[in-house]
Amino acid sequence: MAESLFYLLIFPGITFQLVCGWFFEWFDRKLQARFQRRVGPRWFQPLADLLKLFSKEDLLPSGANEFAAAALPLISLGAVLTAGVYVPIAGFSPASFEGDLIVIIFLLSVPTLAYYLAGIISAGIYSVLGGGRSLLQFFSYEVPLLIALSGPAVMAGTWSIREISSIQAEMGPFVLFQPIGFILAVVGLIGKLKRSPLDIPKAKSEVVAGSLTEFGGVKLAIWNTVMNIQAVVGIFLLVNLYSSWSGIVAPVLAVPVFFLESVLMIFVLSAASAVFARLRIDQLAGLGWKVLVPLALLQLLVVILMGV
Amino acid sequence: MDKMNIPIGPQHPLLKEPLRLNIEISGERVLGGILRLGYVHRGIEKLAQTRNYNQNVSLTERVCGICSHVHTTTFCRAVEALLGLELPERVHYIRALMCEMERIHSHLLWLGILAKHIGLEMVFMHTWHDRESILDVMEEMSGGRVAHAVNQIGGVRFDLDEDHGPMVDSTVKKLKVDYEELLDVIEHDTTLKARTQGVAPLSTDDMKRYCVVGPVARASGVDVDMRRDDPMPPYDKLDFQVITHPDGDAWSRTYVRLQEIRQSLHLCKQIIDDIPEGPISVRAPRKVPAGEVVMRSEAPRGELFYYLRSDGSDYPARLKIRTPTLPALGILPEQLSEIHIADIPVVLAGIDLCIACADR
Repeated sequence: MAESLFYLLIFPGITFQLVCGWFFEWFDRKLQARFQRRVGPRWFQPLADLLKLFSKEDLLPSGANEFAAAALPLISLGAVLTAGVYVPIAGFSPASFEGDLIVIIFLLSVPTLAYYLAGIISAGIYSVLGGGRSLLQFFSYEVPLLIALSGPAVMAGTWSIREISSIQAEMGPFVLFQPIGFILAVVGLIGKLKRSPLDIPKAKSEVVAGSLTEFGGVKLAIWNTVMNIQAVVGIFLLVNLYSSWSGIVAPVLAVPVFFLESVLMIFVLSAASAVFARLRIDQLAGLGWKVLVPLALLQLLVVILMGV
Repeated sequence: MDKMNIPIGPQHPLLKEPLRLNIEISGERVLGGILRLGYVHRGIEKLAQTRNYNQNVSLTERVCGICSHVHTTTFCRAVEALLGLELPERVHYIRALMCEMERIHSHLLWLGILAKHIGLEMVFMHTWHDRESILDVMEEMSGGRVAHAVNQIGGVRFDLDEDHGPMVDSTVKKLKVDYEELLDVIEHDTTLKARTQGVAPLSTDDMKRYCVVGPVARASGVDVDMRRDDPMPPYDKLDFQVITHPDGDAWSRTYVRLQEIRQSLHLCKQIIDDIPEGPISVRAPRKVPAGEVVMRSEAPRGELFYYLRSDGSDYPARLKIRTPTLPALGILPEQLSEIHIADIPVVLAGIDLCIACADR
């Protein structure tokens, strides 16, 4: 009982996820700033922003569904925190079971759907536009992401993330065998997180802040936390699936290597958002279905043929 | 899908200055837009009739926050034409130097805004960083970053000292390096091209029909530049090219402006090398004789038109300012149809609207 509570509340549960989420936001903002010749925020800035939002008045336009507006961010937070518990941290996974990869993929989709609903219920033109766009984007990146993520599972012959992670000790990191799949997964992750260059649903110059235009105060603070933790879980997931060194390097180095790789992933995400212009939604749909899906299928085919 | 109206402005993250666009959309398609102006109307033309000629130099400086110098230059040239003043050569060179630096910083500012609108925050920060070095030089020479107060009727207020020449020289050298990087990005970045190429192109005939001027017209193949067609001295003695591009889309506007930065850097270098010695002002008589005059200059956004009528009193009888943004606003409704919502920022940025100029 005490052990379960520790797993849920401290590690790898809420506290650990929150700390990682704050670190992600700070490191990402700092990197972006350095790319742009700015100094960037100090380490406590994400926390300060969160506290500031908590202290602000919580307003919604008349016509908005108050209950749904409060429930949606909480549901999303619950989903991403639950997903966080199932992702192994450097091989440590107290709640692993066969098929948890599918559960995590499902749980990570919950915030996107909630984001869409948040746009629809909050009674603003920009929100509706942003919500519609987020759903269109969902259909463009989710399919290649799913096909790409099934690559490691097929290769390892299991749908348990811990098994996939540990089998790489014998077979070698999967990123060496599935480089295309890894790149597709990163693109899919960027789309899932709605980060630049795929920040189409919340493009500031087009739809102000998308679905979250009418949100403020505590609700917005929770939404921001959801986005950060979603990013952290996604990064941990990709590191586990594609580049798990925990069985290869010495046990002492397993934890540092895991976190180093995660930090490198943040670097990749930040660099991608710095160097690419935002795509139009029709360009993204074209890219998703004409380029990413065939590539993902090709990668899966290669994986299956390698296994035969 | 149902038709919807989305309001853009008067306050919107897309806009740097207030204007209102009521855009009709169906899904992600834009069907049309209605433009409303006048949020920054300050009545400057009427105000000019209640101030004397010297005071009006300061007033015209406030028409625009970006191209303030070219406004005063045009106004002073108009008054000097009425007075029949012959100015020393050095005055023309100093005025032209400021004009060219203004063009560089205006184009850099514009490029940054376009980049920001399509999500290239990094290009935005880098161009504005480069722009700072030009502003530093302008501040060092004139004392002001935005309002430079360079001109007075009959000359300029400050002279270049021995430090200014090398300073301009080194800044031009440094900017040329940065410029090559920028050009590389604009010419080769796939995502930038995907967002700007083929967006709401307008033909040469359209541009002529709407009387559009400046880089927007040149990007549609209209070969017009007041520096060459109606040159104020010393442009007739300087070597530069008028850049045109046939396509007329947002990318060709970017290309034209970038090439113009190169020409302006080239011009700055020539001016600093060739500037003659001499006085920087002549004494202007207080009384302006009755008469009327039209003066045109090439502002960063295109032809700037001043009409000045004097009835022999202390105050101008009429001052009419036509800024280059005004005709460019005419092509907005035509461009804002049959595009995506995501193209609206590109179209708006491509024109390089200066609402403060247009509203006056």
